[in-house]
Amino acid sequence: MALTQVRFTALNAVGLITLLSGILSFLVISQATRELGRFGATDYIGTLIVIAIVRELGPLLTALVVVGRSGTAIAAELATNQVMGEVRALESMGIDPKQYLVLPRFLGSLVSVFALLVVFDLVAIMAGFAAARFNGLPGPRYFQIVLESLTNRDVWLTVFKALAYGAIVGIVPTYFGLSVRRASTDIPIAASRAVVAALVGIFLCSALFVAIG
Amino acid sequence: MFDAIPISRRGPQPFSLEVAERQTIAVLGDEESGVGLLGGYALGLERPASGRALLFGTVVGGLPEPARLAYRRRVGYLPAGDGLLQNLSLRDNVALPLRFGSDANPHDIEGRVNVMLTALRISGAATLRPAQANDEERRRAALARAIAFDPALLILEQPFDRLTARVASELLEIARGGESAEGARRTIFMTGQEIPPVVLRRVDQVYRLTRAGVLELEPA
Repeated sequence: MALTQVRFTALNAVGLITLLSGILSFLVISQATRELGRFGATDYIGTLIVIAIVRELGPLLTALVVVGRSGTAIAAELATNQVMGEVRALESMGIDPKQYLVLPRFLGSLVSVFALLVVFDLVAIMAGFAAARFNGLPGPRYFQIVLESLTNRDVWLTVFKALAYGAIVGIVPTYFGLSVRRASTDIPIAASRAVVAALVGIFLCSALFVAIG
Repeated sequence: MFDAIPISRRGPQPFSLEVAERQTIAVLGDEESGVGLLGGYALGLERPASGRALLFGTVVGGLPEPARLAYRRRVGYLPAGDGLLQNLSLRDNVALPLRFGSDANPHDIEGRVNVMLTALRISGAATLRPAQANDEERRRAALARAIAFDPALLILEQPFDRLTARVASELLEIARGGESAEGARRTIFMTGQEIPPVVLRRVDQVYRLTRAGVLELEPA
C-alpha cells in the first residue's frame, strides 16, 4: 500500500518536478550570472542557489506540487471510501482503518516528498550549472561556488522541511477525507478543503522554519 | 443479544432480543423503524444511547478499541450494500480479512480464498473489481468475505435485496454453514426490510418492527 502511494505520489510526479525545477533554476541562475557578473559578484550565485532554490523554494514547490496532485487524490479517495461504506466495512472486519488507509498514505507522503525534493535539488543544481556555462561561467568554478555556500545546516534544514511538509500532505487530506458523512456531494468539498488546509499548513510551517532558522 | 436498546424515535419501548446459538433469526422493518442500526450495535460500530449489546458474554460497547477489533474478527458481517473495497478485485476483497486479521501464511490464505471462491461459485469472476461485477457476484463475494474466518455468528444486513429467490436461498444455506443435530453450524442474525418467502421458511424466528415500535412475532 505504501509502495503504491510512493509510486503515485513520487514516481509519477518526477517529470513535473524535473521540468519545474529545471526551468526555475535555469532562469534564476541565467539572470543572476548576467546581473551579478556585471558587478564582479558571481560568487553570490552559490548563495542564491543554496538559500533561494535548494533550501526555500525547493521544499515549498515540491510540497505544493504534491499537495496539488496527491493531496486532492488522497482526500477524494478516502472520502469515497467513507461514502461507499468501505471504512465501516474495514472496521467490521476488525481491520483498523488507520492502519489500512491512513498509515500507508502517511508513510508514502513522507517518502515521496523527501524523494521528490532530492530530485528537485539535484535538477536545480544541474540546471544552474547549464545556465552558468551558457552565460560564460566555467563549470568547475560553478560547482566550487555552490559547494562553498552549502553547509550542513542547509542540508539538515532541507531534510526537516521535507519531512514536515510530507507529514502535512499525509495527515491533512486524510483527515478531511475521512471526515465526510455518507453523502457523495461531500467528496469534492472534502477535496477542496483538504488542499486549502494543506497549503495553509505548508506556508505556516515554512514561515516557522524561517523564524527558527 | 440486545438489552433495552432504543432504536427508533417513534418507538415507545426499547428493543430487547435474545438469540440462541445455531438459530437463524430475522428482524424486519422499514427504514424508519431503526432496524438498520442493529448490526452496527452488535458489532460495536455504533454505541446505543442506552441499553447494551451483549454477544459471547461480552458487552460490546464497553470494549476498548483493540479488544473491539479482535471481537469483530469473531463475527462475520455482510453490510447493506456489500461494503466491498472498490479498488480491490473480488478475490482480494475476500482475502482482505485473512491478510490483516490472521497470522496465516500467504500460501494458506490463498488456499482458503480459493475454497471460499469455489464454495460461493465466483471463481470465474474473482479477478473483477466490484464495479465490474453484477449484484449477485458482489453479494457472493461479500458473503465469502464475511465467512472467511468461519465465524460462529453471522450478521447479515439486507442480504437478499435484488437477488432471485433461488440465489437468496442458496446464499442462506452457505451462510448457515451446513446442518447438524443441534441445527445450523452458525448463528445467523439478519435484518432488512423484506426477505423472500422461500428464505423465511429456513428462518427459525422472524420479528417485525412496526411503525409504532412494537415488536411482533411472526411464525416462521
